[in-house]
Amino acid sequence: MEKVLDLARANSLWPMTFGLACCAIEMMSASMARFDIARFGAEVFRPSPRQSDLMIVSGTVTKKMAPVLITLYEQMPAPKWVIAMGNCAISGGPFVFEGQYNVIEGVDLLVPVDVYVPGCPPRPEALLEGLMKLEEKITGKRRFPGPEERW
Amino acid sequence: MVGKIKTELGAALGNIEIGEVNYRERGYHLCCEVDSGEIVKVARFFDERGFYLAAEICVDYKEYLELVYIFGNHAALCRVKVALKVDPAKPVVPTISTVFDCAYWYEREIREFFGVTFEGHPNMTYLFLHEGIDYYPLRKGQVQVSAEDKKSLGSFQPEGAEDTFCINLGPQHPSTHGVLRVVLKMDGEYIEEAEPVLGYLHRMHEKMAENRGYLQFHANTGRMDYLGAMAFNLGYVTAVERMCGIAVPDRANYVRVIATELNRLSSHLMWLGAYLADLGALTPFLYVFDDREQINDILEPVTGSRLTYAYFRFGGLYNDVDEAFVAATKAFVERMKSRFVLYEKLVTGNVIFINRTRGIGVITKERARKQAVSGPVLRAAGIAMDMRKTEPCAAYGAMDFDVPVGTRGDALDIYHVRIKEMENAVRIIEQALAGLPEGPVMAEKVPKKLKPPKGDIYHTVETPRGELGIYIVSDESDTPYRMKWRVPSFSNLMVFPELAKGNLLADTVAILGALDLVIPEIDR
Amino acid sequence: MNSLQEFAPVVLFSVVALLFTLAPIVIAYILAPRTKGARTLDTYECGIEPYGSAWIRYGMHYYIYALIFIAFDVDVLYLFPVALNYAKGERPEEFYALLCFVLILALAIFYAWGKGVFTWKRKFSQ
Repeated sequence: MEKVLDLARANSLWPMTFGLACCAIEMMSASMARFDIARFGAEVFRPSPRQSDLMIVSGTVTKKMAPVLITLYEQMPAPKWVIAMGNCAISGGPFVFEGQYNVIEGVDLLVPVDVYVPGCPPRPEALLEGLMKLEEKITGKRRFPGPEERW
Repeated sequence: MVGKIKTELGAALGNIEIGEVNYRERGYHLCCEVDSGEIVKVARFFDERGFYLAAEICVDYKEYLELVYIFGNHAALCRVKVALKVDPAKPVVPTISTVFDCAYWYEREIREFFGVTFEGHPNMTYLFLHEGIDYYPLRKGQVQVSAEDKKSLGSFQPEGAEDTFCINLGPQHPSTHGVLRVVLKMDGEYIEEAEPVLGYLHRMHEKMAENRGYLQFHANTGRMDYLGAMAFNLGYVTAVERMCGIAVPDRANYVRVIATELNRLSSHLMWLGAYLADLGALTPFLYVFDDREQINDILEPVTGSRLTYAYFRFGGLYNDVDEAFVAATKAFVERMKSRFVLYEKLVTGNVIFINRTRGIGVITKERARKQAVSGPVLRAAGIAMDMRKTEPCAAYGAMDFDVPVGTRGDALDIYHVRIKEMENAVRIIEQALAGLPEGPVMAEKVPKKLKPPKGDIYHTVETPRGELGIYIVSDESDTPYRMKWRVPSFSNLMVFPELAKGNLLADTVAILGALDLVIPEIDR
Repeated sequence: MNSLQEFAPVVLFSVVALLFTLAPIVIAYILAPRTKGARTLDTYECGIEPYGSAWIRYGMHYYIYALIFIAFDVDVLYLFPVALNYAKGERPEEFYALLCFVLILALAIFYAWGKGVFTWKRKFSQ
């Protein structure tokens, strides 16, 4: 029974529009006609956290934005997942320097992250690969073979 | 114009010496130094003569703080720098926000970054920063924020009268403008007051500039405005080249123009898709991304990135363009002309679109000047100023293009101005491709670690959003002493609260979209 | 007992409708995992804590829409028996009588239209 539920959840992840900075444009590109994210079921980007189950944190999280992010994460109903997209969400990105005062070095200091997608900004194909990895995490097997297994 | 201003200003100020400066090296024509008692008089002088306050900058030279006011003119290229020395122990200066409205936010920013108090300023609360930052960030030493400063800075409370309620157009909202929060005080469906709160993406670019070499900072410029990154690159690179006196070969200049205009097309297309998506039309968003992907495919083999470019180098380019680039650009330009016809049929005559944008957010010429609005918003209000014609850099001087101007200043005019700018961008690309000369793309003998001579420069460039001003102070070391970015979205956003007043909530979204803001460049 | 049997489809219809609405709620309650943070049950306002209360005085424009709605709600009530007997209509005069009835009620909309209720003024004086 759980397997059916997991399959259903993995194939219809509804992301929340949480585009903060430059990575948001690549996230939008991933949902457009060329790198279609709709074929994986994640087309409807809900603006409200009450109707979404995937939060794609794309962009830098600053200290002023941190309470907002935590509030939105808590307002999402379970089960919920987080993809940290881009270097800024993984570990602060190019904005970490000696004496920095405003950037949070990685969104996993605030919320539990399931998949990390590196890049500055990552290509839309990288985001789709991140989505595949998340589906693998939920169901236990991949939808179709990954790049390593094909050759 | 320059001589006239010099004599008149000299007469008005009396015994203050007004220096005439080499414009090629400094970016401004006249400079003078005044006391804090005179600054309001100087501001009124420039206001009467139709100038606008381009930038208000503070620099921390450790013995004193210097406030730099740069006044520019819409009609002719004449820039005046007025400097004001402030004692760092007790930095108090009278405000000029009563004369020039754009100083309202410029001075709030200086207040929280440097600790300079402006007497008479109506609202000195936090704009970018928040409680929890204990030192003034851009001061050279560690200067603590005093307790009374913190209290006055943190005292933003949205009060409500009896019939109104406060609602947040919050940091996370589906319009793709980024993390902008607007606190709206509403009466039913009408807006009484709109107060933007910024700083949710403050990434400390200006502080990073003081810690990085000139070439290391180059990567930051693409992140500031990610949609028009080439224009930011162009401005930065040209500013430093101007300071060091590096001459760029012709082929590099032409390629710079082609790349910047392709990026301008890409940015305006993105604006078109996002604006129409805000108004409810979701189809053009898909068409627009198709064109953008074609531009990305052209620029990616040459620059290496799809979005946040860091292409130009001091002295030219590091990577020459090849035949494939030229052929692909030619094919794209041909295709783009038929796409314009498509957008014309799809959007321009649409009755719903016209009804939602005609008469919304009307900006008059006087308000545009006082608020230092720039870019397509300024041109829609009726003032024909384009930095590519006023202060051409790279090969813009050799290009022939129009500057489209609107009549009414509402959102529909801004739309038409941007469409015509896209068509002009295609024209410029065609001319540049036709006239692309052969030759080297990199100047000879450019040192790896640049050490520009001592002094400052104010360089402007036209980004897809408006006039970008870069003010660099160099102290002969290989990191800049102070770098200030006067971004167009900041002053364009300042005009939003007065436009939103009295309008319906749905119209507010239409106005905000028409201004074409990119929040990372506001928050820097 | 005949009339009672006529109501059997209605009863079945209402029971099935109730099941259709309650079943997803019950299934979701059984199958979904639980989560609770400090802010989970707060009102959503773009991530910021909302100011003030929601019990305020609303504007007049909404009230006028509510009035027009009430008028047409009563209109629909009158039209229920018409709907029941519509298929059996023998004489065309019935249709014209009902058309007059509906047009008289529609006069209310034309009056409101003329008075400018449907256009909300854009700009107050600044």
